[in-house]
Parts: sequence; C-alpha cells; structure tokens
Amino acid sequence: MSQTSCRLFKGEDMVYEALDFYDVDSQLSEEEIMVRDMVRDWVDAEVLPKIEHACRDGVFPDEWRVALGEMGVLGAPLDGYGCPGLSYVAYGVICRELERGDSGLRSFASVQGSLAMYPIWDFGSEEQKNKYLPKMASGDLIGCFGLTEPDYGSNPGGMITKAEDKGDHYILNGAKMWITNGTISDLAIVWAKLDGVIRGFIVETGDEGYSAPEMKGKHSLKASVTSELVFQDCKIPKDRILPGVKGLKGPFSCLNNARYGISWGALGAAQACFHSAKEYTLSRIQFDVPIASYQLIQNKLAWMLREITKGQLLALELGKKKDDGSWIPEHISLAKMNNVDIALEIARMARDMHGANGILDEYCIMRHMANLESVKTYEGTHDIHNLILGRHITGIQSFTRSE
Amino acid sequence: MFIEVSFVALNMVEIAVLLKQVPDTNAKIAILGGRVDESAVTSWVTSPYDEYALEAALQHIEAAGGSITAITLGPDRADKVLKDAAALGVTKLVRIWGDGWEDLDSNQVQFALVDAVRASGAELVYCGKQSADRNQGSTGPGVAEMLGAACVVEVSEFDASSSSYVRPASSGSEKVTVSSPAVITFSKTESDLRRPNVRGIMMSKKAQIDLVSSDVGSSQVNFNGDSSPAEKPPGKTFQGSDCIPEVVGLLRDEAKVL
Ligand SMILES: Cc1cc2nc3c(=O)[nH]c(=O)nc-3n(C[C@H](O)[C@H](O)[C@H](O)COP(=O)(O)OP(=O)(O)OC[C@H]3O[C@@H](n4cnc5c(N)ncnc54)[C@H](O)[C@@H]3O)c2cc1C
Repeated sequence: MSQTSCRLFKGEDMVYEALDFYDVDSQLSEEEIMVRDMVRDWVDAEVLPKIEHACRDGVFPDEWRVALGEMGVLGAPLDGYGCPGLSYVAYGVICRELERGDSGLRSFASVQGSLAMYPIWDFGSEEQKNKYLPKMASGDLIGCFGLTEPDYGSNPGGMITKAEDKGDHYILNGAKMWITNGTISDLAIVWAKLDGVIRGFIVETGDEGYSAPEMKGKHSLKASVTSELVFQDCKIPKDRILPGVKGLKGPFSCLNNARYGISWGALGAAQACFHSAKEYTLSRIQFDVPIASYQLIQNKLAWMLREITKGQLLALELGKKKDDGSWIPEHISLAKMNNVDIALEIARMARDMHGANGILDEYCIMRHMANLESVKTYEGTHDIHNLILGRHITGIQSFTRSE
Repeated sequence: MFIEVSFVALNMVEIAVLLKQVPDTNAKIAILGGRVDESAVTSWVTSPYDEYALEAALQHIEAAGGSITAITLGPDRADKVLKDAAALGVTKLVRIWGDGWEDLDSNQVQFALVDAVRASGAELVYCGKQSADRNQGSTGPGVAEMLGAACVVEVSEFDASSSSYVRPASSGSEKVTVSSPAVITFSKTESDLRRPNVRGIMMSKKAQIDLVSSDVGSSQVNFNGDSSPAEKPPGKTFQGSDCIPEVVGLLRDEAKVL
C-alpha cells in the first residue's frame, strides 16, 4: 500500500478547499464521498508534489498506475470481471479529483477505463472479458485506444487502417496518431475497416508488425504519454476481434463515456485554478492593498465562481442521467464542450491574475491552461460538439458538404 | 542436510481501537456564544494519532491473526470514523452516545469507553496519545487505570514480528513488550498509513454499527466556555542591510529556523 500523509502533519500550503458554492457534493452518497476523499487525499499526497517533475521529464510516473490500480478506481462504472462497479456519478467525481491534480493523470484513467476496458466489457467475448478486464482493473495491464489517424481526426469514419481476414488470422495495416498511453500500453483497442466496415481489434504489445513510437515535443499534457501506433502487416489471432459491435457505434460508445468523465474532470482543473487565483489575489499587494480588493479582480473571481457552479450542476445532472439511463449523446456533448470551455477560460484568466508568477511552475495554472488546450481538442473538438448540437436542434447535419 | 524452520508463535489478538472524530486539523474553528461552533466545521476527520493506532492494530492482526473492534464516542456524525475504519477492513464497529452527552468530562468518557472495551472482549486497547482537538492526553492512561491494565504511552513504532513497541526514552528509545490486558497510546509512527480502496469502501457500506450507551454518572468538571487563541502579533519588518545580523540572530534564537 502506498503512503499517505497525515492531516495533522500537512503543511498549510497543502490545504485544498474545493469550491462547491451550491454544496453540490451534499447530493453524493456516502460511498461516493468516501471515494472522493480517497482520491483527493492521494492527489494531495502523491501527485501534486511530483507533477511538475513528471511534466518536465515528460513521463507518466509508473507508481501512479500502481496506485490507481490499488485504489481500485480504473474502469469505475463497469461491474463484474474484477471491475469496481461504482456509479457514473462516482466515476465523474474520480475524474474531477484526478484532474484537479493534472489532466494527463485523468487522461490515463479515462483511456484505461472508458476507451480500453469499456469496449471489451460491452463488445468483447466472454473469453476476452475474463482475460483482460481483471488485470486492467488492477492496473497490471494498460490499454490504449486507436481511432484517430494522421488524416482523419474529426472525421474518423474516413479511416484508412484496414484489417484483412486471412483464414486463421487477421492482418492489420495502417497507422494511428495521437494515441494516449500508446507506448506504455500492453494492449491497444484498434478500430480498422474489415471489408469496409469499422471493427474493433485487440492488438497486444509484441504482436508481429506492431509498434507504438512515442510522439515528443508536446507543450500540453506533458505528463501523459502520446504515441503513434504503426501496423505493418500486423498479424493477430482470430479471437482478437470484438464480436459485439460494427461501425462507428463502437468507438462512439466509448467516447460517450470518456467525454462524460471529461465534463467532470475539467471542473477539477477549473477548481484548482480558482483556488490558486483566490489565494494569490488575496495575498498579492499592489498599490498598497490586496489585488483581490479591486473590483476588476472580484469580477473575475465572481465569473469563475458562477461558471464553475453552473458546470458542477450540469455534470451532476448528467451523472444522474447516466446512472438512470435517460441520457442522449447530445447531453454529453453539451457538458463536455461547456465545462472544458469554461475551465480553459478560467485557467487563462487565473494566469493573468497571477501576473508574472502565473508563468511559473510553482503555480498549477499555466500547466492546467496548457493541458486544457488538448482537452478542448480531443474527444471531439469544441466545434464538433457545436455541430452535434446544431444537428440535434435543426435536424440538418453540417459536418460535410457531400451527401 | 537439515532445514531449520523458525517462526515466531504469536497469539491471536483481540484489539479495541479508540477513534475520536475531530474537526479537520486544517479547519478554521469559530466560537459562537462561548462554544466551538460545530455547524461551522466543514470537515470532520479521525484524530491523526488515532489513525496511527489503527494502522498499528491492522498490522498487528495481519501478523498475529485476530480481530479489531473500532470504538468511538460521539454523535451521529462520528459514524464516519467507523465507516472509514471499516473501509480499511475493520468489521466490528461500536459507537457510544447518550442524551445530553455534549459536555462529558474525561472520567465520564473513560467510563463509557471502558464499558465498550469490556463488551468487545479485547485484551489490547490501541489509541492515539492525545486527540487533535482537546489535546488532553488523558484517555489512554485513564482507560488503563479503570481496566487495571498495563499502559505504554507515546509509542512511535510497532514491530509486528515481535509484537513489541518502541517509545522515546532518555537513552533515545526503548523497546518493550507487554502482557495483556494493556493500553497502548500511539504518537506518529514511521508506518505509512494505508489508504482505503474501492473494494473496502463498498464493504464499509454493509458494515453494521452497534450503537450503545453507558451510565457515566455526573460530571465533576464544569465547562465554562471556549475562547479563541490570542491574535498573532503582527509581523516585524526590517529594512536595509544594517539589520541583517539582528534578523539572523532572531531567526536563530527566537524562530529557531536556522
Ligand atoms: C494529447 C492528445 C491525446 C489524444 N489521445 C487520443 C487517443 O487516445 N486516441 C485517439 O484516437 N485520438 C486521440 N487524440 C486525437 C483527438 O481525438 C483528435 O486530435 C481530435 O479528434 C481532432 O482531430 P484533429 O486533431 O485531426 O483535428 P481536425 O479534425 O483536423 O480539426 C481541426 C480544426 O477543424 C475543425 N473542424 C474539423 N471538422 C470541422 C467541420 N466539419 N466543421 C467545422 N470545423 C471543423 C475542428 O473543430 C478543429 O478546430 C488525442 C489528441 C491529443 C491532442
């Protein structure tokens, strides 16, 4: 078991009071609160002291994988096969607490749970579930999700990667790009066209013709590993196809879950930025008084409070819908888009309010700000979610001019 | 050739761990009408030294076998410390409370705890050396006195392999073993506190809490009211290089940070 620091012995600077203006967390169950506190304490003790180093070195610390597995939060809302079996609300809370630490950490958990475990859990064979899920829940096996390609991002349906049925095995050819966890993963859920139809395949590290070189040079999500996946006549056994799904529904089902988690996660980053902005502006003296006493600063803090509070209500309401099954994908688009948008704006505003100090890694804000730029783009860009909502309102798709 | 098998024969132990719920040690404490305003406390936690006592108890039964009863004295909200203990694997949970118990004195608290300890059948009692709110440090020794048990205080290390305890002494530290019944009070130990996990949290949901009460008699100590600590004096400001020696002197001799 990993260590935790005792509250009595925590330094003052480690006190984190989560902004919760409407006391939204009072609607959580006892169990959800215990899970929240477990993750929050872990982030305080193990993530925050190490995150800047991880970012500078561009690594995802392996001990975080171990701890997430030990805490038992991976694949949170899935049940059976050694999975936690928590509510979707609990999953959201976990994402929020992780992303208060860093979006890269939350990305790791989102990809593992929603993008790699979920498709096996929903579309996999009994054998596949038994083989992979218990070890993925414990963090012993890491998964990644290969959908995006160099030439197909917002339009994954056009993907080129293809699979061929060779009788007793499949051959995969093509390349994926921007794949979170790629290089450190033990298995990849790869979406490829088999006879023109998108299917999911499980590719294991070590499969002939498969490699996952890391992409370097990111200014964002530095503590998260991003990779290419390359398939050159990659040979995989027949039992690695996900039998339960065909077409874009497969990857989109996964994305629905991950996007839902992001709608909570972004609030964690926003709360961290708000917290830092509040503390800083109360203590920073300019023109003889704390800058927090100026109306312009208070206006900004009030705007942050307002947007975070709305975002929290949105996330919780969506979580309840996920739990009772009354959600539609457009609900998720709205929450992902809104909450990431306000989080990024809050991070930028907080950066400004910290003045020059705002660019230092002593404060979390510039890191969150840079991270959130990725979060805005992945899992459906901000504007793609606008188009999804536009189609919902008008009944007219505006993604493409053809058709 | 022969194989030497050596093992330490340990007896199964029954341990009662006393856990107190206190305001989060980082929380701001407000006084309202001469009393700590409990409604203003945003977060309640298990008193930190008690967490080390619980950790030692968990290590003890992992090594020796046996079971733990977690006991708390407090109102409804104190169930939380028991649930937190349950999430770490404690299965027997007891909360003691009675009407009008807001102002029990330490003797009364110890009476009630002793009743619960006796009922649990525990031969060892583990608790923190003092609580983080009142800091009296009277509970462990008081309970030991009433139980007629041995008492070892301010233990800073528990050695599971030999069931011995290390505590500070004039020589540096001393290591003791103790025969039961005994009460051990813990300070911060070297042990990392274990973290709960989701499985434990799910189990704790099912855990039953026994609510009991005791006849604790009447209080001998009259409570006259809480008050806040004195305001910190304002910080001193020094300007110019002339005062460097003075500042260094103050940092060394008064602040003792150099
Ligand atoms: C750090 C990071 C990690 C990632 N991890 C993964 C992963 O694990 N797995 C995975 O499969 N992918 C991953 N991605 C890829 C991500 O999902 C894509 O980047 C995203 O879908 C956008 O695709 P694109 O980058 O090709 O941008 P494009 O699709 O080229 O979009 C560029 C711009 O054009 C706009 N645009 C596109 N189409 C339209 C339209 N029809 N109308 C109006 N505007 C439009 C977009 O909104 C955007 O502003 C990751 C990306 C990043 C940055």
